[in-house]
Amino acid sequence: MTFNRTMLGAATIVVTGLAWSSASAQTIGIAIGSEPTTLDPQLRDDGGERQVTDNIFETLMTRDPSGALGLGLAASEPVLVDPTTWEVTLREGVTFQNGEPFDAAAAAFSVNRVIDSGFNSEQGSYFNTITGAEAVDATTLRVTTSGPDPILPTRLYWLKMVPPIAAAEAGFAENPIGTGPYKFDNWRRGSSITLVANEGYWDGVPAAPEVEFRFIPEFGTRLSSLLSGEVDLITNLLPEFVEQVPQSFAVTGVELPIILLSDENEPVGDVRVRQALNYAVDKEALAEALYGGYADVMQGQLLAPSYFGFNPDVKGYPYDPEKAKALIAEAGAEGAEVTLYGTAGRWLKDRELVEAVAASWEAVGIKPDVRIVDFSEYLDRFFDPENRQDAFFTVSSNELMDADRPFSAYYHKDGIGAPNHNERIAELVDSARTEADPEARAAMYQEAIQIAFDEALYVFLLNINDVYGASERLVWEPRVDGKLLAKTMSISE
Amino acid sequence: MGRLVAVRLWHGLIVIVAVTVTVFVVTRLISNPVDVMLPLEASAADRAAFAAALGLDRSIPVQFLDYVNGLARLDLGTSLWQDRPALTIVMEHLPITLLLVVSSVVFAILVALPLGAIAARRPGGGVDRVTVILSLVALSVPQFWLGLLLILLFAVTLGLLPSAGAGSAAHLVLPALTLAIPTMTRLIMVTRSQMIDELNAQYVRTLEAKGMSAWRVVAVHAGRNAAVPVLTLASWEFVRIFAGYTVVVETVFAWPGLGRLALQAIERQDLVLVQAVVLVIAVIVVVFNVLVDFAYMAIDPRIRLE
Repeated sequence: MTFNRTMLGAATIVVTGLAWSSASAQTIGIAIGSEPTTLDPQLRDDGGERQVTDNIFETLMTRDPSGALGLGLAASEPVLVDPTTWEVTLREGVTFQNGEPFDAAAAAFSVNRVIDSGFNSEQGSYFNTITGAEAVDATTLRVTTSGPDPILPTRLYWLKMVPPIAAAEAGFAENPIGTGPYKFDNWRRGSSITLVANEGYWDGVPAAPEVEFRFIPEFGTRLSSLLSGEVDLITNLLPEFVEQVPQSFAVTGVELPIILLSDENEPVGDVRVRQALNYAVDKEALAEALYGGYADVMQGQLLAPSYFGFNPDVKGYPYDPEKAKALIAEAGAEGAEVTLYGTAGRWLKDRELVEAVAASWEAVGIKPDVRIVDFSEYLDRFFDPENRQDAFFTVSSNELMDADRPFSAYYHKDGIGAPNHNERIAELVDSARTEADPEARAAMYQEAIQIAFDEALYVFLLNINDVYGASERLVWEPRVDGKLLAKTMSISE
Repeated sequence: MGRLVAVRLWHGLIVIVAVTVTVFVVTRLISNPVDVMLPLEASAADRAAFAAALGLDRSIPVQFLDYVNGLARLDLGTSLWQDRPALTIVMEHLPITLLLVVSSVVFAILVALPLGAIAARRPGGGVDRVTVILSLVALSVPQFWLGLLLILLFAVTLGLLPSAGAGSAAHLVLPALTLAIPTMTRLIMVTRSQMIDELNAQYVRTLEAKGMSAWRVVAVHAGRNAAVPVLTLASWEFVRIFAGYTVVVETVFAWPGLGRLALQAIERQDLVLVQAVVLVIAVIVVVFNVLVDFAYMAIDPRIRLE
């Protein structure tokens, strides 16, 4: 009797078990590492949220997969009407997914909402030069800035357009409505978010009718879900697993690991020691060993080649341990102790990178004191300008792909992470921030880069690639800015 | 009886208060959510403004008073991470964790009791040896690794079960199994040792001599006597799983439950949500323990709880 019942029970479980579906024929499944905190695109600075909302909302300016700035909801490039006012013409015939028209009034509303101090957006620092926006007529928008702001067009690539009526309602963060190619369908908290194609999308209905974002924080599990056919795309694929997945894509990413050096502590206060610390590191070997070749060597500056302000004449310190030893001997710093702070698990292979760099320093005669601390303590030390550490590992994330943010934070002597006291660099970064002529602006950054390079204010490391794993059937091209745009994905038969 | 309940609940209340105060004070002393929530390049002024908006710039006793006020209205605060009432978030994830935990414990008990009893009937025999060895192996394997191994085997290689998430009965199998295995092995060992003691007793020999079937001896008579230590362990296992192991297993299997929620809240330094999770779990554990105490009295009338 019990045996019969047990068998029946087991049979039921097996049958219902078979009812679960792998990636269904027409749904593209994407496994991401973290669940969005909200679906309001203007409130948080959250990568998980952007992965989903980049498909529901749009911006005035966009970038193509290789990073070039272009038009999105704007019909023409923004132009200056006076030093602190920009004017943009908007695309006509676009509506929000709830029927509200996308016009200059909606655009002005969107801009004013994100900069409103009462709204308390975490994205404030991306837009801190914008003072307001107004609609001149139905298709013309004016944006005012606090001073000359040459990168306003770039900022407009980050500012999402929201519908004035729906955004004012309480449930907007759980029921997002934008102008984008996909509409929000449902959000199973803790599990997944489903989007469906927007039939009325102004640029043509996208190829895939449905997209499902699943939240799987554990990497091993994410990889398994790809290998078992349950999803089509996974992010943050570890380089050592590239061989195992049906398809993989790699592209230069926006994350730049670098070590900030103090210019006054012993022994790193001596420029020869700092240069030696650069010569000691074999960056190519690190890229190969830690990232499976999926990393580019940083060219002596905190910018990737496609970013604004890049200096093509600065090539980076080559690997030359003999020269490093000679410089250290010259400076009389053999056996000197250098404290190096790092993190574990915050960024890809952060701990391994710090330990490898410390080992190469040891090989040229320095005694590194590696301190891998948890993120809270790391931040405490980071924000303590009185007690600058000798060496500090960090990763700069350059979403806007422009020199101003990272340079203001790391190159400028008053920047939040800059342990240097160089007046000239500070001057250059300040002037460049408000310089309207792009060529003059680029020249200023390039000069700052040359100085920082000669002074070896940093140990320049790598530019990590974004690596993705995909199913056999997915057709897609990854982007330099790391955005997952489902409208560019399709399923091959 | 009524007095017994009151005493138990009073002790439980003390535990809950102690846990709440400790977590509240310690989290505010050691962590700073603002630094984690804003991007690294945000300025000091941005941070100060953000901290004030969250109410984190006030002194700890003031914040605590505010918290207690909220508790009276069953308002556990607003999650810093999700900007929604913390209690709502916890309640969303609680049922699915309970489903997982109860399934695991029930499964573990259903397998462990018979196996332990069978092994105990012939100590040193074939079944016994195999059971003990397998149990020790299963106990030595870290749950994290076991979970991933099961995923690799059943989801990737065999394609029989889903690798992650929750959505059907099939999704429950692997996570419940991963949670159940260490519990099951401990229960097997305790059941076995208890049953060996009972089966050696005089009254058992008498029953067998009188011709009672082995099945009745074990299940009806010896079993009930061996039940108390087993019940103790099983209830302890339930609490350990519910308040601990779910963190690892839910993360591995992307199971949208309380354990994974707690981990994410800690990572994001969402003090409010961490507090709410701890409070709800503490209350459930206390209530559960009271119920188990009463179960003892039902099983063994000789037990009188002081």
